[in-house]
Amino acid sequence: MRRSLVQSGPPMKLAVIGGGPSALYVTSRLLSLLKNEPNIRVHVYDRLWSPYGLVRYGVAPDHPEVKNCTHKFDETAKDPRFRFFGNIEVVPTPPFGSIPRLPSTRLGHAVQLPVSSILPYYTHLLLSTGCTLPTLHPTILPSALCIPALSLVHWYTSHPSNPPTPPLHQKPHVSIIGAGNVSLDVARILLTPPSLLSGYDLPRHVLEVLNRSTVKHVSILARRGPLEAAFTAKELREMMNIPGTSMKHIPSDLLAPPPDVKVTRQQSRILQLLQKGSKEKYGTTEKTWSVDFFRSPTQLSSAAGETKGDLPLTLTLSHTALDPTTHASVPTGITSQLHTSLVVTSLGFQADPSSTPFYDPQLRRFRTLPGGRVVENQDGRVIKNVYGSGWAAGGAKGVLASTMMDAYNVAETMVEDLVASDATDSVASPSSYIGVQNGGVERGEEDSEKRDILEIMNPSASLYSLPPEIASALPERKVVEFKDWKKVDGEEVKRGQESGKERERMGWEEVKDFLGLKPAWK
Amino acid sequence: MLSTCFLSFASRNSQLTGSLTLVSRHGEIQRPKPGTGVKLHFKDSKGNDIKTVEVNEGDDILSIAHEHDIDLEGACEGSVACSTCHVILPPEYYDLLPEPEDDENDMLDMAFGLTDTSRLGCQVKITKELDNMAVTLPAATRNMFVDGEGTSSH
Ligand SMILES: Cc1cc2nc3c(=O)[nH]c(=O)nc-3n(C[C@H](O)[C@H](O)[C@H](O)COP(=O)(O)OP(=O)(O)OC[C@H]3O[C@@H](n4cnc5c(N)ncnc54)[C@H](O)[C@@H]3O)c2cc1C
Ligand code: FES
Repeated sequence: MRRSLVQSGPPMKLAVIGGGPSALYVTSRLLSLLKNEPNIRVHVYDRLWSPYGLVRYGVAPDHPEVKNCTHKFDETAKDPRFRFFGNIEVVPTPPFGSIPRLPSTRLGHAVQLPVSSILPYYTHLLLSTGCTLPTLHPTILPSALCIPALSLVHWYTSHPSNPPTPPLHQKPHVSIIGAGNVSLDVARILLTPPSLLSGYDLPRHVLEVLNRSTVKHVSILARRGPLEAAFTAKELREMMNIPGTSMKHIPSDLLAPPPDVKVTRQQSRILQLLQKGSKEKYGTTEKTWSVDFFRSPTQLSSAAGETKGDLPLTLTLSHTALDPTTHASVPTGITSQLHTSLVVTSLGFQADPSSTPFYDPQLRRFRTLPGGRVVENQDGRVIKNVYGSGWAAGGAKGVLASTMMDAYNVAETMVEDLVASDATDSVASPSSYIGVQNGGVERGEEDSEKRDILEIMNPSASLYSLPPEIASALPERKVVEFKDWKKVDGEEVKRGQESGKERERMGWEEVKDFLGLKPAWK
Repeated sequence: MLSTCFLSFASRNSQLTGSLTLVSRHGEIQRPKPGTGVKLHFKDSKGNDIKTVEVNEGDDILSIAHEHDIDLEGACEGSVACSTCHVILPPEYYDLLPEPEDDENDMLDMAFGLTDTSRLGCQVKITKELDNMAVTLPAATRNMFVDGEGTSSH
């Protein structure tokens, strides 16, 4: 039977958790697909006070072009159906995840919004919470002289979590564990002459520390070989071209692929770059770097008692080889020691259980079907109108281009489901996605598995109402809306221009002053 | 209930990509007088025609796509830093173009569905020789994360 218009509510009132590129690409696609549909609302919540996620607080300062994608997001934000609520942290509530919060990940000033408060106010939910925690090394844990790469990234981007300033004074030798693009970002920032960085979006306090830095060598430790390295040619080429810096020669036997292995285009270009080496010759420069392949650190000890001066740390490196069938790194039994001054772990990122709704401990993120539909657990029900996208749904892999494509797929799935439910509303009410199939909309194979549906959203949510926490935080000026962000954005650029740089970032305290916001804590 | 226009979109179902109008940035380039420009045929990943357009020499494929509301993304706005403007050209036309520079190849490495005749749309400038070239947009891949094909680069 046909539902009446009054009962059926708006076609879509969507709450998006996370305001990073994935969230904003989904939103952009949705709003353009539903261009002629006025009764749509998209409310994006981020625990940070600003939008753009890792594009603002991840992408390296000397990659300003990458940040051009924000222009598209700003266009999307002009849509009157869109609203951004910054400084709002969504917290999982039972039964949608209830793991106690880790103090290290809490943003003290953000307004807490329980998931349970969101559900009655929205017809749809999109989880785009990213992977906000660094993956730690199993035995080499963070300490004053062993810091996750993400802390360094947060430091040089002035992330609101306020990480400590890394100790770069009297630290001639830095070891980075892991060989991905984030490792190279960090290495590049540590090795590039600060004078070449000063025009970029790098906070003044960071430049001051870099100016005093005594880092002379960065050693990048890769568990496997050059064919398995996760960094890309672009970032590697940038390393090769840093003025006043050179790469230590890599033994040529390491750069010859095994005879039976067919290398991909990407791999052969990486090999060529490594073979060719750095622009400046090793031995002629003050600063150097190396990639040490087939070295897996197993232990970090600090030289207590004996004075090792500037190299107080010793990393025990297990020399590894590649298992020919599994391609995993296996120890050869040989070990060596590397004396170093500072260790940075760059081993990837993972979802934070304490800020990720529907977190599945087994998968270590929430679980989605292809297309982004969220399911309760491995064999569980499809949670109707709840979707996930980006790093939160797929794990921390890929670049913005892949994040964008995934986001578009999710937006298209959402619209297909919307269309399907609209069609079935007029025919019969679906009891599962099979029901939807019968409703006449062709669906991909991926959905043919029959799952029951769990309904938690409110199909007749009002277009205009807001969760009570938000309704009260708004007049208390604890929320940063998009127009507020744009004011800050303009001011940051203006302050930057005054000192000849792209922008001068504001921290939360300055933002509060500038916008006249009240502190969100008592 | 959804509006009629919306439902007409819906009947096209999953063939969404390639036919949508995104935020367009018109006015970046000039359109030639009809009958005087170089012809380009934009096609979707399946080879279906999207649009044939007439363009001026010197314009790049990304700007042309934007001018004509063709769904080619340019996340870094032509700075060779994103690979979202990836297009596939016919071999006979590909060979007429100067070789891609290193920076373009570096970004192509990360392009999804890379072929031997892939280029970045923002780096291909139109010349008379390219008249009647087909420009194919790569498949918008569904479920790339699930298929495990997303590049792991962190
Ligand atoms: C250091 C680094 C550098 C990178 N550099 C590049 C590059 O140069 N080029 C490139 O193409 N790609 C780069 N990438 C990859 C790119 O950043 C990712 O592809 C992309 O950011 C993933 O988008 P996302 O929206 O899924 O996640 P994110 O960008 O992480 O966004 C997630 C958002 O969700 C918010 N959030 C999380 N939990 C909650 C909660 N409970 N409540 C409210 N909000 C919440 C977070 O604050 C964040 O803003 C880089 C990644 C990293 C880590
Ligand atoms: S638009 Fe980014 S590479 Fe062409």
